[in-house]
Amino acid sequence: MGDTVIEVRDVFTTLGGHAIHRGLSLSVARGEVIALIGGSGTGKSVLLKEIIGLLRPQAGRIALFGQSVWDSTPDQMNGLRRRFGVLFQDGALFSSLSVEDNVATPLFEHTALPHATCRQLARLKLALAGLPLDTAKKRPSELSGGMRKRVALARALSLDPELLFLDEPTSGLDPISARAFDRLIRLLADSLGLTVFLVTHDLDTLFSIIDRVIVLSNGRVLGSGTVAELKHIDDPWLHDYFAARSSEGEPVHGN
Amino acid sequence: MTAASAHFDEAQGALIASGDWHADAASVLPGLGGKTVRILDGAGITQLDTNGAWLLLSAACPGAGDPMPELRAFQPRHLAMLQLVAQHGAATRTLPGPQREGVRLITGRGTLALWGHVVGLLDFIGRLFVELVALVPRPGSWRWRELGAQVRDVFVGAIPIVAGMLFLLGVVFAYLLGDQARQYGANIFVVDGMVLAVLREVSPVIVAVLVAGRTGAAITAQIGTMKVTEEIDAITTLGLSPLTVLVIPRILALLLAMPLLVFIGDIAGLAGGMLVAQQQLDISFSMFMDRLADVILLKTLLVGLGKAPVFAIFIALIACRMGLSVTRDARSVGANTTSTVVQSLVAIIILNAIFAVMFVRLGI
Repeated sequence: MGDTVIEVRDVFTTLGGHAIHRGLSLSVARGEVIALIGGSGTGKSVLLKEIIGLLRPQAGRIALFGQSVWDSTPDQMNGLRRRFGVLFQDGALFSSLSVEDNVATPLFEHTALPHATCRQLARLKLALAGLPLDTAKKRPSELSGGMRKRVALARALSLDPELLFLDEPTSGLDPISARAFDRLIRLLADSLGLTVFLVTHDLDTLFSIIDRVIVLSNGRVLGSGTVAELKHIDDPWLHDYFAARSSEGEPVHGN
Repeated sequence: MTAASAHFDEAQGALIASGDWHADAASVLPGLGGKTVRILDGAGITQLDTNGAWLLLSAACPGAGDPMPELRAFQPRHLAMLQLVAQHGAATRTLPGPQREGVRLITGRGTLALWGHVVGLLDFIGRLFVELVALVPRPGSWRWRELGAQVRDVFVGAIPIVAGMLFLLGVVFAYLLGDQARQYGANIFVVDGMVLAVLREVSPVIVAVLVAGRTGAAITAQIGTMKVTEEIDAITTLGLSPLTVLVIPRILALLLAMPLLVFIGDIAGLAGGMLVAQQQLDISFSMFMDRLADVILLKTLLVGLGKAPVFAIFIALIACRMGLSVTRDARSVGANTTSTVVQSLVAIIILNAIFAVMFVRLGI
């Protein structure tokens, strides 16, 4: 199935008089697990907000599943929102709701299922996200950072979206939890047939679970491809970026 | 896109599903009336997600101990989805019943919470006092800039609302008093009544209520949000005391600002009365002022102004303490802000009653 899920074409964004995107274009096919990388201030998070319909770019076209995000009616947009899930950087769980109600909220709002069924489905999502059953009744503030991320992932998955956006999924996690979270994302992407678009700084994520990396630089896409392909691109930032890992990792692994 | 459908074949004991199975497909599940599903047939299923798979499985084997039905004619990826859900879904079956809380449990917990609250307040006042004593000989460590900023927020920002409210209350009071006094031809005594009512009761209490709602709530919300974002922890780690940096400047600012606001309220209230007296009772401004000079007693003014610092201390203590006792989430910021306003209002009313009785007993 080679159809395009995300299409971004010639996007221009200016924030506070500062040009962030200058004719940025990219596309993501169904089933891909994509990482967006780039230095600080290159507009990764801004691009994510534009794709999920939170921030309007000055010019350009952004389409999800072939439907333009910024030319949709509110009803069409709500239809689109049912088809993607978002994991925000700090989880953005609703602190006034229990964990299972957090996960069940999209089901409460978007389906006609009875609330008891919604909660059972929410627990299924929590189990899929690798959380023990006794977390369901807790409040988000009682959980560790890694568990909150898993709850947020479960909430992003609650409507069984075809497309999943993740904003720095492993930031703030220890390396062990981060790798476990990476494996979980890949496992879910494969078993549920998800398309995953994640913004990350984590090199280990790139090396372990990503099909294709897209690099932002100077408001455009500098390059896209597997990690091995990107290493051949001659760019000082990209060079330093990959050097950061090889200088740390090699003495330990001895290769 | 094909709509989901399902029917039950009684002869085979087979639940036959087809179409796109998503969360919305729940409504097409047939009622089985307690019959056992031996076969789950998915030949016609075009799409299946985890929600759809769970719905099918829970319809086919509703009880926890029911055997899995035979899965027939599913496409391989749908089969994989069903197995994934079945593997994780077992845990979701048994719903623990909602916990019932008895009256005794609620009463006990409430009492403990109240006790904890009282102890916490005493502890807070104690620590505050220790800090204050340590601070007195060291004027260099006072937060003068913070104090200035707080006085500006608490005092200057509140002048328009205080003056406006008290002016309108003065108008209402003078109007009602004047209506009565005129029947006895005692127009001029409206001034006496206004002085007593506005200076002694209305202005201190209304200003305290306004400050509790305006500044008390702001203090709790601000300190509470700082607690949530760990700014308070950062202050402590830098070797500073949150009490010195945040609490004491706020208490002092309220202590300074409240009497000034009450004085402004006094003037605004009397001005409102003066306007009504001129319009309704034919008491000219100069007559009003002459009478005011005769009847106003320093004692009346000071009683009103003297209540202000007491109200101020209570509002500031309650607001800062509720701010610092916020836990880690947004809900608790809201709850504590509400609690600050309620506690402050109750404290103001009780204190005012105590003052009234005390002044009568002391013959003031």
